[in-house]
Amino acid sequence: MGKYVLKSLLQVIPVLFIVSLIVFILVRVTGDPVALMLPETATAEDRAVLTQALGLDQPLYTQYMKFLGSALQGDFGQSFRYGEPALQLVLERLPASFELAVAAMFFAIVMAVPLGVASAVKRNTFTDLIISGISVIGKAMPNFWMGIMLILLFSVMWGVLPVSGRGGVSHLILPAFTLGVGLAAQMTRLIRSSMLEILSQDYIRTARSKGLGRMVVIGKHAFRNGLIPVVTIMSLQFTSLIGGTLITETVFSWPGLGQLLVVAVNTHDMAIVQAAVFVIAFIVVVTNILTDVAYRLLDPRIKYD
Amino acid sequence: MKKRQWTSMWITLLAVVLVLSACGGKSTDSNSASSESGSGTVASTTLTIAAATDIESFDPHNNNNTSSEAVLVNVYDYLIKNDSEQKKVPGLATSWEQVNDTTWRFKLREGVTFHNGDPFTSADVKYTLERVAKDSTLKQNSYFKNIVEVKAIDEHTVDIITDGPDPLLLNRLSKMGAGILPAKYIKDNGFDKFLKQPVGTGPYKFSKWTKDDRVEVVKNENYFDGEPKWNEVVFRVIPEASTRVSELLAGGVDIAASIPSTDIARIEGEADKKIVKAPIQRVLQLIFRQTEGSVTADPKVREAIDLAIDKQGIVDSIAGGAGIVTRTSVTPGNFGADPSLYKTSLYDQEKAKQLLQEAGYAEGEAEMTISVSSQYKEPAEVVAAMLEQVGFKINLDVLEPSAFSERYSSKSFKEIFMIGIGNSLFDASNNYNRYMLEEAKGESDYNNPEVEKLLQSALINMDPASREKEYQQVQQILAEDRPAVYLYQMEGVYGTDSRVNFKPRSDEMFYADEITPAQ
Repeated sequence: MGKYVLKSLLQVIPVLFIVSLIVFILVRVTGDPVALMLPETATAEDRAVLTQALGLDQPLYTQYMKFLGSALQGDFGQSFRYGEPALQLVLERLPASFELAVAAMFFAIVMAVPLGVASAVKRNTFTDLIISGISVIGKAMPNFWMGIMLILLFSVMWGVLPVSGRGGVSHLILPAFTLGVGLAAQMTRLIRSSMLEILSQDYIRTARSKGLGRMVVIGKHAFRNGLIPVVTIMSLQFTSLIGGTLITETVFSWPGLGQLLVVAVNTHDMAIVQAAVFVIAFIVVVTNILTDVAYRLLDPRIKYD
Repeated sequence: MKKRQWTSMWITLLAVVLVLSACGGKSTDSNSASSESGSGTVASTTLTIAAATDIESFDPHNNNNTSSEAVLVNVYDYLIKNDSEQKKVPGLATSWEQVNDTTWRFKLREGVTFHNGDPFTSADVKYTLERVAKDSTLKQNSYFKNIVEVKAIDEHTVDIITDGPDPLLLNRLSKMGAGILPAKYIKDNGFDKFLKQPVGTGPYKFSKWTKDDRVEVVKNENYFDGEPKWNEVVFRVIPEASTRVSELLAGGVDIAASIPSTDIARIEGEADKKIVKAPIQRVLQLIFRQTEGSVTADPKVREAIDLAIDKQGIVDSIAGGAGIVTRTSVTPGNFGADPSLYKTSLYDQEKAKQLLQEAGYAEGEAEMTISVSSQYKEPAEVVAAMLEQVGFKINLDVLEPSAFSERYSSKSFKEIFMIGIGNSLFDASNNYNRYMLEEAKGESDYNNPEVEKLLQSALINMDPASREKEYQQVQQILAEDRPAVYLYQMEGVYGTDSRVNFKPRSDEMFYADEITPAQ
C-alpha cells in the first residue's frame, strides 16, 4: 500500500510536467499580451519596451526554461492584470470554489440518495419512470440556462434569494443547486443501478427470508454496499466540480477559480492561466490517488501491486 | 426502531435545508435594507454600482482600463479634474501657469491630508509623477514619459518640466496615471503594503477589495471638498450581462453599467427602473489600407464605402438606438472637435454604385477583407451586407479579441479593419497621431503632406486657439480623404433604480458624489 502511494506520487511529476508544457505553448501561440496591455494609441516603441520588460522578446525555449525553473519554486510569474504573483491569486480563489463544490455536492447527495434508492426499490413502476425522466432532464439541462432561470424565478420574481456574488449562505443556494443538479442526476442513475444489482443478490434474499423488515433490508444491508461505487464517483466528480465551475461561477459572479480563469483567458493573463491550470491538474491528480486509496480501504478485495 | 431512525435522518436533513434557507433569508433582508434606506427619510448610506469588469489594482499608474479608473477616481485625486463637461477644474492644484515652453508651475492646495493623516505636499507630487514617468513597465508610462522632472519649489508649489513643448500636459494630469500617491506612506511601508491598504486623498477611503467580486470604499470625513454624500460605496463586478440586469431588477444594485441593447425594453418596462444613456469616448470606425495596389487605395472606392453604409440604420438596429452618427472621431468635449462634422453622416447607395463603376469595378469585382474583433461582430456583419448591396465583395474576418489585438499591433490587416477607438486624453492628437507618416507606415499608409504639417505643428503648439484650428482643418481634410469611415459614437447604457439620480459621464467615471439619493 505504502509502495503504491509512493509510486503514484512519482507518476504525478511527469503528468504535471506535460501539463505545464502544453499550457505554456498554448498560451503563447494564441495572442500577444503586450497588445492587450497597452492603449490603442501606443507606439511601436512603447510595445518594444514593454515586450522586453516582460521578457517576451526571448526565444520560446528560454522563456519555458525560465518559467519551469521558477514554477518549481512555486513562482508562476506575475499576473499582467493584477501585478501580483499568479499562484497566490489562484490559491486565494480556491476557498470560494471549494465552498461552492462542497455545497453542490451536498445538494447532489440530498437529491440523489432518496431518488436513487426509491427508484431502485420501486423498479419499473410509475415512480421509477418519473425519477428516471427527471434525472435525464437534469443531466441534459445546460448549467447556463438553468442558472439564469433560477435567478429569474427566485431573485427577480420572488425576491427570496440574492442574484449573485459571494456572501452568506443565501448566496450559495442558487449556484450550488445549479451545479449540483447535473451531478445529482448522474448519481441518481448510478445509485439506482448499484442498488438494483445488490437487491438481487443472495444475501439480500437471505435477509428478507429471515423476516427482516423492508426498511432494514434496504437501509442496512443494501444501501451501505450500494454506496461504494457512489463514493468513488463522488470523489471523481468533486475534482471536476472544482475545475468545471467555469460557467456557473460566471453566471452567478462567484469569485472562484473558474471566474478567475475565464477572465484571465479573455485578458490573456498568461501567468494566471498557467498557474490555474497547473493547480487544477494538481488537485485532480492528487484526488485520484486519494480515491484509489480510499476505495481500497472500503473494499479489501481490491489489490494494488 | 430502524424505521424511526430513517425517518429521523430525513427530518434532520430537511431541518438543515430549512435552517440554511432561513439564514439565506436573513442576509437577503440585510442586503435590501441597506439599499432600500435610500427611499426612506434617513439619508441613504450605501450606493451599489455593478460593472462588467473588475479593477486591475489600486495602483493608478499600472492600470489601463476605464472601469478601473471609474472606481479609483473616488480614492485618488488628480492635480486637475475634468468636470462633467470635460472642462479642467482645480483638483489638488488650485492654480497653474505656464512658465516657459517646457515648464508648468502648479500651486497645490493646502491643508489636504491623505487617508492615513499624512499631509499632502509637493513631495507627493514629485514622487507620483516621476514614478509613472520613469518606470517603463507601468501601463500608464506611455502617457507620462515626456515628463523629465518634477521640481518641488516649496511645500505647496511644483514645477513640472517636459522634454519639449507639451500642449497635452494638463490632459495628462487629469487622467488615471496622475492619481496622487502618498510618498511618505509608500516609503515607510513599501509598495506591496500600499497596494493592500491603499491611501489617497480622495472623497472615499479604501475598505475592502475581493477580486472579481466587489470593491468597497467608505466616506472620508476629512475630504477637502466637503463631506462626501454616501457612507459607503460598493462596486460590484458582474461580468455576465443577464446577471447584471437581473441584479438591477431584483434591487441588489442601484446602477448597472453596460446594459445590452436587447435588455433596454425590459428594464424600461419596470416602474421603478430607468435607462440612462450618455455618449462615451469611443467611435466605431473602419480604417483603410491605402497601400499601393490595395483596392481601398482609390479615393473613389473609399467614398463609395462611406456612401454605401447606412450609419443611422446600424445605430437603430444593432445598438438599440445608443449611438450618435458622426463624420469625425473627435467628438464634442474633446479638444479640437469640429461640430460641423458631428451628428451627421453620408448615405447614398445609388451614388456609391456609380462611384464604384467610375473606379473601374464591375459588380463583385472589388474584393475586400474586413477584419474585426468578435465584440463588434454584429455591426461588422451589417456593414458587410450593406457593402455587398452596392457591388463590393466582402470577406468578413472575425477574430478573437486577443488575436485581433495581435494583428492590430503588428499592423497586418488587409484592406479594412473595424475598431472602436477611445480617447482618454480628450484631445484630437490621440485620434490623429495614427495618420502621421511614421505611425501610418504599414497600417493605413496614409500620406498627405498637408495633414502631416498640421499634425506635426499641433503636436508642440502651445497656443490653444491656433492649435484647435489646426485640428479642425485636419478633420475637414480627413472627412474628404477618408483614411477612415466613422460609423457612430457609442453610448454608455446604464440601468438605474429610482432610488438614485445618476447622470452618466462621457468619460464613464463613477464619481460617487455626483450620484445622489432620490428624494
